[in-house]
Amino acid sequence: MQHFLIGNLKWSSLPHEWFTIAGTLTFVMLALVVIVVITYTKRWKWLWKEWLTSVDPKKIGIMYFIAGGAMLLRGGLDALMIWLQQSLSSGSSHGYLSSDHFQQIFTAHGNIMVFFVAMAFVFGLINYIVPLQIGARDLASPFMNTLGFWMFIGGIVMVNMFFVFGGQYAATGWLAVQPLAAKQFSPGTGVDYWVWSLMISGIGTTLGAINFIMTILKMRAPGMKLKMMPLFTWGSLCSMVMAVTIFPLLTATLFLVYFDRALGTHFFTTLGGGDPMMYTNLIWMWGHPEVYVLILPAFGVFSEVVSTFSRKPIASYTSAVWGMIGVSSLALSVWLHHFFTMGASADVDAFFGLMTMIIAVPTSVLVFNWIATMYKGKIRFETPMLWFMGFVSVFAIGGISGVMLAVPPADFQLHNSLFLVAHFHSTVIGGVLFGIFCAISYWFPKFTGIRLNQRIGKYAFWCWIVGFCMSFIPMYILGFLGASRRLDHYDSSTGWQPFFIMMLIGGLIIALGVALQLAQILASFIQKNRVSNDPWDGRTLEWAAASPPQFYNFTTIPEVTSRDAYLTMKQQGLPKPTYEDIHMPKSTSVGVYIAGFATLASFGFVWDIMWLVVISMIGILIVFVRRGYDEHSEYVLTAAEIQKLEEARAKKEKELPPVTDNETIEDMGIIELIRVVLSFFLDAIRNKRWRKA
Amino acid sequence: MSETHKTDSEHGTVQSYVVGFILSLIFTLIPYYLVVHQTFSSSALLPIIIGFAVIQMIIQITFFLHIGRGPKPNWNLFFFASTVGIILVVVGGSIVIINNLHYNMQPSDQTKKLIADEGIYQIGGQLTGACREQAANHQVIINNSRVIPVRVLANQCDTLTFISGDGSARKVVFGTYPQNQSYAGESNLVIRKGQNQTITLSQTGAYRFYDQSHPAVSGEFVVGQ
Amino acid sequence: MTEHEIEAHEAEADERTMFGFWVYLMTDLLMFAVLFAVYAVLHNNTSGGETGRELFKLPLALTETIILLTSSFTCGIAMIAARQRKKAQTLVWFGITFLLGLTFLTLELNEFASLIREGYTLQSNAFMSSFFVLVGTHGLHITLGLLWMAITLGYVIKRGLNGPLVRKLALVSLFWHFLDIVWIFIFTIVYLRAFL
Repeated sequence: MQHFLIGNLKWSSLPHEWFTIAGTLTFVMLALVVIVVITYTKRWKWLWKEWLTSVDPKKIGIMYFIAGGAMLLRGGLDALMIWLQQSLSSGSSHGYLSSDHFQQIFTAHGNIMVFFVAMAFVFGLINYIVPLQIGARDLASPFMNTLGFWMFIGGIVMVNMFFVFGGQYAATGWLAVQPLAAKQFSPGTGVDYWVWSLMISGIGTTLGAINFIMTILKMRAPGMKLKMMPLFTWGSLCSMVMAVTIFPLLTATLFLVYFDRALGTHFFTTLGGGDPMMYTNLIWMWGHPEVYVLILPAFGVFSEVVSTFSRKPIASYTSAVWGMIGVSSLALSVWLHHFFTMGASADVDAFFGLMTMIIAVPTSVLVFNWIATMYKGKIRFETPMLWFMGFVSVFAIGGISGVMLAVPPADFQLHNSLFLVAHFHSTVIGGVLFGIFCAISYWFPKFTGIRLNQRIGKYAFWCWIVGFCMSFIPMYILGFLGASRRLDHYDSSTGWQPFFIMMLIGGLIIALGVALQLAQILASFIQKNRVSNDPWDGRTLEWAAASPPQFYNFTTIPEVTSRDAYLTMKQQGLPKPTYEDIHMPKSTSVGVYIAGFATLASFGFVWDIMWLVVISMIGILIVFVRRGYDEHSEYVLTAAEIQKLEEARAKKEKELPPVTDNETIEDMGIIELIRVVLSFFLDAIRNKRWRKA
Repeated sequence: MSETHKTDSEHGTVQSYVVGFILSLIFTLIPYYLVVHQTFSSSALLPIIIGFAVIQMIIQITFFLHIGRGPKPNWNLFFFASTVGIILVVVGGSIVIINNLHYNMQPSDQTKKLIADEGIYQIGGQLTGACREQAANHQVIINNSRVIPVRVLANQCDTLTFISGDGSARKVVFGTYPQNQSYAGESNLVIRKGQNQTITLSQTGAYRFYDQSHPAVSGEFVVGQ
Repeated sequence: MTEHEIEAHEAEADERTMFGFWVYLMTDLLMFAVLFAVYAVLHNNTSGGETGRELFKLPLALTETIILLTSSFTCGIAMIAARQRKKAQTLVWFGITFLLGLTFLTLELNEFASLIREGYTLQSNAFMSSFFVLVGTHGLHITLGLLWMAITLGYVIKRGLNGPLVRKLALVSLFWHFLDIVWIFIFTIVYLRAFL
């Protein structure tokens, strides 16, 4: 009876170790802070109506950024713990983490960074910017958009749930190799949490990818042919086509892993005819194209930024597009390079090694394109360009080390060494993360209508670059010296400890950089220097909308006749706004409910609480059917209402301070920021300002 | 606004469904009868029935789903074609790679010995041939001048114990001097002073052995099924 | 908005939805691809147990195939009636499709039940695991398709055959045709192949 009610949950599943207690307390405290603030400011209804049930891709984009940012801090904390352990754990010292705990940390670090940080920011960007760039008002399916977002949040809940129930995460590496991740060798609920958090967020990703493809292919402004689309939209399209292709592979493989664990099937077991090598084969069929899914939007961002800040169109649009398409197509033919050493024969290894090296070609086409764009351009070195320069240097190192690894004989020496770890961090941090930072510094004025503090931003950038080099260049060297990855302890005779300590210091500098980025955002909001809709003299359509855009993006969808559509509009004279009736989607709570049920169901799957699974599935079905057959999910915004909104906005603008687009602003420095924040708190305490409602 | 009303051919007429149905029926029954009556060899039949399946898929895609008609660019067709391509990569790639891995990762002599020692009777669904239960035990005594008995006849999975006649340390090498062989993963056996060495006769065949210090002292054991 | 504008807007949304659903079907197809790949690699791993030749009954598989094919055909006829807004005909033909689908499902469940009764479960060996999961996933899709069909037909009875419901039926029939196409490959690669 007890098993029927609560499955495998026991008293010992609750937190009773230092890190589970600390984690649970952190969540509880964060939740309390949020609840208190929202209750005090009486904003529950506002939060629910305006944000949580919103189908506006701009709002969903911001929510993705917030979630991704929070998970960046969590994943970064994992990284610091790894750096610290590896610096301490030499010779007779064994650091402060047990081996099993260390393994859970690097597993969680990998999963969180790839799925819940990188994917989150990429989806947030595409959500916000692509409809604006193609002249659409919303995505093709607002319902799928909110559903996809909340499924992603469900994944975040599951990946953190183990702190409260279970106490352990997977200790198998971020892709849970078999047969280590089988029930026999990983008996707890750790791997089950791994399976279900990835399953739920993977389904959300698939839905989102379908949505983006539908939008880009079917909802472009009239006249915008494919060959006129901005390059960020092209990067997003290629990325999402890849995503829609590979995430089903992941979902199916995760189901097979779950069946092996829960139902006793023999897909990847060592006995009964199972084949663990097939798991490695399948998971990397997903895993390799995944990294290209992440990088292609970043390539798109860089294309936009380089072009705008060099005041030149991209050197060769056609080759840039074919470069992106080339990367996408080749991405699906290289996956074996992740397991060269698993025993395939030389010809198979050679084929995949060749294909891996060939992928460097379309990538270089893009890089040379950007450099050629800068050549003889009127370059402005604003913060986005700084991040681009950081990308070129760091990503180039990562890319070249990748080509080295693509040579199978070299890989036999370097496989699973720290050289490999340095390679993929160089490409992911240098490519994806710097791309995200570049995008945020580029489009922040569009999101918020205010300037991003450049001064603190530059400090943050340099902390990142210096910290990154201090942390990952020694890693390349250690890889050559024979250090393998995922080491929680090593012999002092290896002489590696100084390197690890240097890497820790580099990591702390990176942490400082992250803190400075948060400070940058805070300072920007304090300074509130307003910008117009077009602070950078942009070329693409998103700059035509207001900053921040109206919820319907544009009053009139523009007619497009060329690439760099907004630049053409500015040159030919901006059209007068006309007003017409438009269909807008209503917000809906369906996404929250379905994802909520899905999360409950996966909790039931993890702990074998079958009644919870059944009820949640029925709940999903009911909500889905009611929404699916709801024929009133849109409303009409009449031309008159739009005109009123626009006029109200214009009136409000006149009352606000003027925009500072072309002025050189004395940005707040770090010392001044600290002073402002401290005085705010001291003032509030002294004057007891919280007494007023 | 572009013309989005589909023509009749895009939605399908009763005629197209009837034609598609009959063709599909034919392309189902033919491979069925080919297999039941074993008209061709197995290796020839496999591509034939897969070919029929692919053609039937195309029939249904055309007559039931009407993909391929409609205004260009035909995104439905594009996504279908690329999905088919990726399926070929996923399925075909898996088959090729896994076969290649299995071929290259077959147990060697050394692995066979480990398998026998550790009692691993089954790997990947296949029985390894490791001996599960030992049957009879045979003995061979090695002196400085000769081996007693000169020839041992045994069955597979019996055990054979090498004893040093005077209790001194000896090294037994398989094969004939100077060409050595290995047996069940061992190239030679060290008999320590005052001890014996026993091996499990997991490999069938006739094998010679000799004392390394006295190559003329040699014997033979024959392992039958 | 004018009548014409609303109609054009709906037609555009209709086309978009069909396309989006088609892309979704492609993702479903890729999930099946993984299951087919796993079956192809593991189907000989019987751990000394029985192979497909000994466990499958080819006439039963043929019967299931023909039933599903016929239901795909009747589904197509039903859609033609739906687009012509002929409510009674639509209900009849979809009803026949539903019954044929239900028959298929019953036959398949019977096959599974008899295998399990004889002791061949998905825990027996890798071959059985991949068989049950591949064919079972298809069966699960059939079940969901039948449920979806029933719910939509229920709404048709309640609300009449309006534009949005015709769209829904188009999606259901697309799903149903797709499942028949997947079954062609299950019939060939699982059942026929076992007897080569």
